Amino acid sequence: MTDAPLDPVIHAQARLRVVAALSTLGTGDQIAFPRLQDVLRMTPGNLSVHLRKLEDAGYVEITKTHRGRTPMTLVALTNRGRTAFEEYTASVRALLQPPDIKEKA
Amino acid sequence: MSESFVDNDQPPGDPAEALRLIEEQRAAALRHIHIDDRWWYWPWGFAWLIGFGLLFLRFGPDGRVFVDLPEWLPVAALIALLVGAGVISGLTGARAYGSVVGESSRRGAYYGWAWSIAFTGATVILVRVSDALPEDLRTLVWSATMVALTGALHMAGGAIWLNRTLFQLGVWISVVNVAGVLAGPGWQSLIMCVAAGGGMIVFGAFAGRWRRRVTA
Repeated sequence: MTDAPLDPVIHAQARLRVVAALSTLGTGDQIAFPRLQDVLRMTPGNLSVHLRKLEDAGYVEITKTHRGRTPMTLVALTNRGRTAFEEYTASVRALLQPPDIKEKA
Repeated sequence: MSESFVDNDQPPGDPAEALRLIEEQRAAALRHIHIDDRWWYWPWGFAWLIGFGLLFLRFGPDGRVFVDLPEWLPVAALIALLVGAGVISGLTGARAYGSVVGESSRRGAYYGWAWSIAFTGATVILVRVSDALPEDLRTLVWSATMVALTGALHMAGGAIWLNRTLFQLGVWISVVNVAGVLAGPGWQSLIMCVAAGGGMIVFGAFAGRWRRRVTA
Protein backbone atom coordinates (compact mmCIF):
# COMPACT_ATOMS: atom_id res chain seq x y z
CA MET A 1 0.00 0.00 0.00
CA THR A 2 2.83 2.39 0.86
CA ASP A 3 4.25 2.10 -2.65
CA ALA A 4 0.96 3.12 -4.26
CA PRO A 5 0.80 6.75 -5.45
CA LEU A 6 -0.86 9.18 -3.00
CA ASP A 7 -4.60 9.67 -3.51
CA PRO A 8 -4.76 12.54 -6.06
CA VAL A 9 -8.11 13.78 -4.70
CA ILE A 10 -6.67 14.50 -1.26
CA HIS A 11 -3.11 15.20 -2.41
CA ALA A 12 -3.82 18.91 -2.90
CA GLN A 13 -3.23 21.36 -0.06
CA ALA A 14 -6.71 22.79 0.10
CA ARG A 15 -8.57 19.49 -0.08
CA LEU A 16 -6.20 17.87 2.39
CA ARG A 17 -7.04 20.65 4.85
CA VAL A 18 -10.78 20.22 4.24
CA VAL A 19 -10.62 16.49 4.85
CA ALA A 20 -8.33 16.88 7.90
CA ALA A 21 -10.77 19.37 9.47
CA LEU A 22 -13.78 17.14 8.73
CA SER A 23 -11.98 14.12 10.22
CA THR A 24 -12.28 15.68 13.68
CA LEU A 25 -16.07 15.32 13.56
CA GLY A 26 -17.64 12.17 15.00
CA THR A 27 -19.05 9.64 12.53
CA GLY A 28 -22.61 10.61 11.68
CA ASP A 29 -21.93 14.31 12.34
CA GLN A 30 -22.28 17.17 9.89
CA ILE A 31 -20.93 20.71 10.12
CA ALA A 32 -22.55 23.87 8.80
CA PHE A 33 -20.82 25.33 5.72
CA PRO A 34 -20.09 28.78 7.24
CA ARG A 35 -18.54 27.18 10.30
CA LEU A 36 -16.31 24.98 8.17
CA GLN A 37 -15.33 28.07 6.21
CA ASP A 38 -14.38 29.76 9.51
CA VAL A 39 -12.24 26.84 10.53
CA LEU A 40 -10.46 26.64 7.17
CA ARG A 41 -10.32 30.39 6.47
CA MET A 42 -11.31 29.87 2.84
CA THR A 43 -13.59 32.00 0.69
CA PRO A 44 -17.05 30.47 0.06
CA GLY A 45 -16.29 30.09 -3.66
CA ASN A 46 -12.98 28.41 -3.06
CA LEU A 47 -14.40 26.03 -0.46
CA SER A 48 -17.35 25.15 -2.73
CA VAL A 49 -15.05 24.22 -5.60
CA HIS A 50 -13.01 21.88 -3.41
CA LEU A 51 -16.07 20.40 -1.75
CA ARG A 52 -17.54 19.62 -5.17
CA LYS A 53 -14.39 17.72 -6.15
CA LEU A 54 -14.49 15.80 -2.88
CA GLU A 55 -18.19 15.11 -3.35
CA ASP A 56 -17.59 13.81 -6.88
CA ALA A 57 -15.06 11.38 -5.43
CA GLY A 58 -17.62 10.27 -2.83
CA TYR A 59 -15.47 11.55 0.05
CA VAL A 60 -17.87 14.14 1.42
CA GLU A 61 -21.62 14.34 1.56
CA ILE A 62 -23.36 17.69 1.20
CA THR A 63 -26.88 18.10 2.50
CA LYS A 64 -29.05 21.13 1.78
CA THR A 65 -31.66 21.65 4.47
CA HIS A 66 -33.44 24.34 6.48
CA ARG A 67 -33.18 25.42 10.08
CA GLY A 68 -36.44 27.25 10.53
CA ARG A 69 -36.64 29.33 7.35
CA THR A 70 -32.91 29.75 6.90
CA PRO A 71 -31.41 27.49 4.27
CA MET A 72 -28.47 25.52 5.58
CA THR A 73 -25.73 23.56 3.90
CA LEU A 74 -24.27 20.73 5.93
CA VAL A 75 -21.02 18.95 5.16
CA ALA A 76 -19.88 15.54 6.38
CA LEU A 77 -17.05 13.16 5.68
CA THR A 78 -18.33 9.85 4.24
CA ASN A 79 -16.93 6.51 5.43
CA ARG A 80 -15.11 6.33 2.13
CA GLY A 81 -13.63 9.77 2.71
CA ARG A 82 -12.54 8.86 6.24
CA THR A 83 -10.85 5.69 4.99
CA ALA A 84 -9.13 7.60 2.18
CA PHE A 85 -7.86 10.19 4.69
CA GLU A 86 -6.59 7.52 7.06
CA GLU A 87 -4.81 5.72 4.23
CA TYR A 88 -3.30 8.98 2.99
CA THR A 89 -2.03 9.83 6.49
CA ALA A 90 -0.61 6.33 6.91
CA SER A 91 1.16 6.52 3.52
CA VAL A 92 2.66 9.90 4.34
CA ARG A 93 3.87 8.67 7.71
CA ALA A 94 5.37 5.57 6.08
CA LEU A 95 7.22 7.75 3.57
CA LEU A 96 8.77 9.67 6.47
CA GLN A 97 10.05 6.60 8.27
CA PRO A 98 13.55 5.31 7.57
CA PRO A 99 13.33 2.09 5.47
CA ASP A 100 14.60 -0.30 8.19
CA ILE A 101 11.83 0.74 10.61
CA LYS A 102 9.30 0.55 7.80
CA GLU A 103 10.08 -3.12 7.26
CA LYS A 104 9.66 -4.00 10.92
CA ALA A 105 6.42 -2.04 11.30
CA MET B 1 -10.06 32.70 -9.70
CA SER B 2 -7.60 34.29 -7.34
CA GLU B 3 -3.99 33.27 -7.17
CA SER B 4 -4.45 31.64 -3.78
CA PHE B 5 -6.91 29.24 -5.31
CA VAL B 6 -4.35 28.14 -7.89
CA ASP B 7 -1.73 27.83 -5.15
CA ASN B 8 -3.73 25.77 -2.74
CA ASP B 9 -4.69 23.31 -5.44
CA GLN B 10 -1.04 22.27 -5.56
CA PRO B 11 0.07 19.13 -3.74
CA PRO B 12 2.02 19.62 -0.51
CA GLY B 13 5.75 20.02 -1.12
CA ASP B 14 6.84 16.79 0.58
CA PRO B 15 5.49 14.19 3.04
CA ALA B 16 6.68 16.18 6.05
CA GLU B 17 4.76 19.21 4.84
CA ALA B 18 1.65 17.10 4.21
CA LEU B 19 1.80 15.73 7.75
CA ARG B 20 2.34 19.19 9.20
CA LEU B 21 -0.64 20.47 7.21
CA ILE B 22 -2.83 17.62 8.51
CA GLU B 23 -1.80 18.16 12.12
CA GLU B 24 -2.19 21.92 12.01
CA GLN B 25 -5.60 21.70 10.41
CA ARG B 26 -6.86 19.09 12.84
CA ALA B 27 -5.65 21.17 15.79
CA ALA B 28 -7.31 24.29 14.38
CA ALA B 29 -10.58 22.40 13.82
CA LEU B 30 -10.52 21.00 17.35
CA ARG B 31 -9.96 24.49 18.75
CA HIS B 32 -12.85 25.90 16.70
CA ILE B 33 -15.39 23.11 16.91
CA HIS B 34 -14.73 21.41 20.22
CA ILE B 35 -15.19 23.04 23.59
CA ASP B 36 -12.52 23.07 26.26
CA ASP B 37 -13.51 20.43 28.83
CA ARG B 38 -13.01 22.87 31.67
CA TRP B 39 -16.23 24.58 30.63
CA TRP B 40 -18.06 21.38 31.62
CA TYR B 41 -16.29 20.58 34.87
CA TRP B 42 -15.24 23.82 36.51
CA PRO B 43 -18.61 25.56 37.03
CA TRP B 44 -19.82 22.48 38.95
CA GLY B 45 -16.53 22.03 40.76
CA PHE B 46 -16.48 25.61 42.01
CA ALA B 47 -20.19 25.52 42.87
CA TRP B 48 -19.57 22.51 45.12
CA LEU B 49 -16.33 23.84 46.53
CA ILE B 50 -17.82 27.20 47.54
CA GLY B 51 -21.39 26.07 48.35
CA PHE B 52 -20.46 23.08 50.51
CA GLY B 53 -17.57 25.04 51.98
CA LEU B 54 -20.02 27.67 53.29
CA LEU B 55 -22.34 24.91 54.54
CA PHE B 56 -19.49 23.34 56.50
CA LEU B 57 -18.43 26.67 58.00
CA ARG B 58 -21.97 27.46 59.18
CA PHE B 59 -23.25 23.97 60.01
CA GLY B 60 -20.19 22.05 61.17
CA PRO B 61 -20.12 18.55 62.74
CA ASP B 62 -22.05 18.23 66.05
CA GLY B 63 -23.70 21.61 65.59
CA ARG B 64 -20.43 23.55 65.60
CA VAL B 65 -20.44 26.99 63.94
CA PHE B 66 -17.04 27.94 62.53
CA VAL B 67 -18.21 31.17 60.91
CA ASP B 68 -21.42 32.80 62.10
CA LEU B 69 -23.05 33.34 58.69
CA PRO B 70 -26.80 34.01 58.39
CA GLU B 71 -28.56 30.62 58.47
CA TRP B 72 -30.11 30.99 55.03
CA LEU B 73 -26.89 32.01 53.29
CA PRO B 74 -25.06 28.68 52.68
CA VAL B 75 -28.05 26.87 51.18
CA ALA B 76 -29.08 29.90 49.11
CA ALA B 77 -25.50 30.27 47.85
CA LEU B 78 -25.25 26.56 47.00
CA ILE B 79 -28.54 26.61 45.08
CA ALA B 80 -27.61 29.81 43.23
CA LEU B 81 -24.20 28.37 42.30
CA LEU B 82 -25.73 25.10 41.10
CA VAL B 83 -28.32 26.92 39.00
CA GLY B 84 -25.50 29.05 37.57
CA ALA B 85 -23.49 25.93 36.75
CA GLY B 86 -26.56 24.40 35.06
CA VAL B 87 -27.02 27.51 32.92
CA ILE B 88 -23.33 27.48 31.92
CA SER B 89 -23.61 23.77 31.01
CA GLY B 90 -26.66 24.52 28.87
CA LEU B 91 -24.91 27.39 27.07
CA THR B 92 -21.77 25.28 26.61
CA GLY B 93 -23.89 22.52 25.11
CA ALA B 94 -25.56 24.96 22.73
CA ARG B 95 -22.16 26.29 21.69
CA ALA B 96 -20.67 22.83 21.30
CA TYR B 97 -23.49 21.52 19.17
CA GLY B 98 -24.63 24.77 17.56
CA SER B 99 -22.90 24.26 14.23
CA VAL B 100 -22.43 20.53 14.28
CA VAL B 101 -25.52 18.54 13.39
CA GLY B 102 -26.04 14.80 13.65
CA GLU B 103 -25.48 12.04 16.16
CA SER B 104 -23.32 14.08 18.57
CA SER B 105 -25.82 16.88 18.83
CA ARG B 106 -28.69 14.43 19.37
CA ARG B 107 -26.73 12.67 22.07
CA GLY B 108 -25.92 16.00 23.67
CA ALA B 109 -29.55 17.13 23.57
CA TYR B 110 -30.87 13.86 25.05
CA TYR B 111 -28.21 13.98 27.74
CA GLY B 112 -29.13 17.57 28.58
CA TRP B 113 -32.79 16.61 28.87
CA ALA B 114 -31.90 13.63 31.07
CA TRP B 115 -30.20 16.01 33.53
CA SER B 116 -33.11 18.46 33.63
CA ILE B 117 -35.79 15.80 33.98
CA ALA B 118 -33.91 13.76 36.58
CA PHE B 119 -33.20 16.83 38.72
CA THR B 120 -36.74 18.13 38.48
CA GLY B 121 -38.05 14.72 39.54
CA ALA B 122 -35.69 14.48 42.50
CA THR B 123 -36.53 18.02 43.60
CA VAL B 124 -40.26 17.26 43.63
CA ILE B 125 -39.70 14.10 45.71
CA LEU B 126 -37.44 15.87 48.20
CA VAL B 127 -39.75 18.87 48.62
CA ARG B 128 -42.55 16.40 49.35
CA VAL B 129 -40.66 14.53 52.11
CA SER B 130 -38.36 17.26 53.40
CA ASP B 131 -40.65 18.51 56.19
CA ALA B 132 -40.97 15.02 57.64
CA LEU B 133 -37.20 14.71 58.08
CA PRO B 134 -35.35 15.69 61.26
CA GLU B 135 -33.63 19.02 60.71
CA ASP B 136 -30.05 17.76 60.86
CA LEU B 137 -30.76 15.18 58.17
CA ARG B 138 -32.46 17.55 55.72
CA THR B 139 -29.33 19.02 54.17
CA LEU B 140 -27.67 15.61 54.18
CA VAL B 141 -30.53 13.91 52.32
CA TRP B 142 -30.91 16.78 49.84
CA SER B 143 -27.27 16.93 48.91
CA ALA B 144 -26.72 13.17 48.96
CA THR B 145 -29.66 12.57 46.58
CA MET B 146 -28.60 15.29 44.16
CA VAL B 147 -24.98 14.23 44.21
CA ALA B 148 -25.92 10.56 43.70
CA LEU B 149 -27.86 11.63 40.62
CA THR B 150 -24.92 13.68 39.39
CA GLY B 151 -22.58 10.71 39.85
CA ALA B 152 -24.94 8.40 37.98
CA LEU B 153 -25.36 10.84 35.09
CA HIS B 154 -21.59 11.28 34.76
CA MET B 155 -21.16 7.51 34.61
CA ALA B 156 -23.91 7.36 31.98
CA GLY B 157 -22.12 10.13 30.06
CA GLY B 158 -18.96 8.04 30.13
CA ALA B 159 -20.94 5.14 28.65
CA ILE B 160 -22.54 7.30 25.95
CA TRP B 161 -19.29 8.87 24.69
CA LEU B 162 -17.02 5.97 25.70
CA ASN B 163 -15.13 8.54 27.73
CA ARG B 164 -13.10 6.95 30.49
CA THR B 165 -12.40 10.21 32.33
CA LEU B 166 -16.07 11.09 32.52
CA PHE B 167 -16.94 7.60 33.78
CA GLN B 168 -14.18 7.70 36.39
CA LEU B 169 -15.40 11.09 37.55
CA GLY B 170 -18.89 9.59 37.99
CA VAL B 171 -17.48 6.72 40.06
CA TRP B 172 -15.44 9.16 42.16
CA ILE B 173 -18.47 11.36 42.84
CA SER B 174 -20.57 8.32 43.79
CA VAL B 175 -17.95 6.95 46.19
CA VAL B 176 -17.28 10.33 47.80
CA ASN B 177 -21.02 10.85 48.20
CA VAL B 178 -21.45 7.58 50.11
CA ALA B 179 -18.42 8.44 52.26
CA GLY B 180 -20.03 11.78 53.08
CA VAL B 181 -23.33 10.16 54.06
CA LEU B 182 -21.55 7.67 56.30
CA ALA B 183 -19.51 10.44 57.91
CA GLY B 184 -22.74 12.23 58.82
CA PRO B 185 -24.01 15.83 58.83
CA GLY B 186 -21.32 18.49 58.89
CA TRP B 187 -18.51 16.19 57.76
CA GLN B 188 -20.49 15.48 54.63
CA SER B 189 -20.24 19.15 53.62
CA LEU B 190 -16.49 19.14 54.13
CA ILE B 191 -16.06 15.94 52.12
CA MET B 192 -18.26 17.28 49.32
CA CYS B 193 -16.41 20.59 49.32
CA VAL B 194 -12.91 19.17 49.15
CA ALA B 195 -13.22 15.74 47.53
CA ALA B 196 -16.15 16.24 45.16
CA GLY B 197 -15.73 19.97 44.35
CA GLY B 198 -11.93 19.92 44.38
CA GLY B 199 -11.93 16.56 42.58
CA MET B 200 -14.12 17.96 39.82
CA ILE B 201 -11.77 20.92 39.31
CA VAL B 202 -8.74 18.62 39.17
CA PHE B 203 -10.54 16.28 36.71
CA GLY B 204 -11.41 19.28 34.55
CA ALA B 205 -7.79 20.42 34.44
CA PHE B 206 -6.52 16.98 33.52
CA ALA B 207 -9.33 16.11 31.10
CA GLY B 208 -8.36 19.11 28.95
CA ARG B 209 -4.70 18.22 29.07
CA TRP B 210 -5.33 14.55 28.22
CA ARG B 211 -7.48 15.49 25.28
CA ARG B 212 -4.96 18.00 23.98
CA ARG B 213 -2.24 15.37 24.21
CA VAL B 214 -4.30 12.69 22.44
CA THR B 215 -5.09 14.98 19.53
CA ALA B 216 -1.68 16.63 19.32
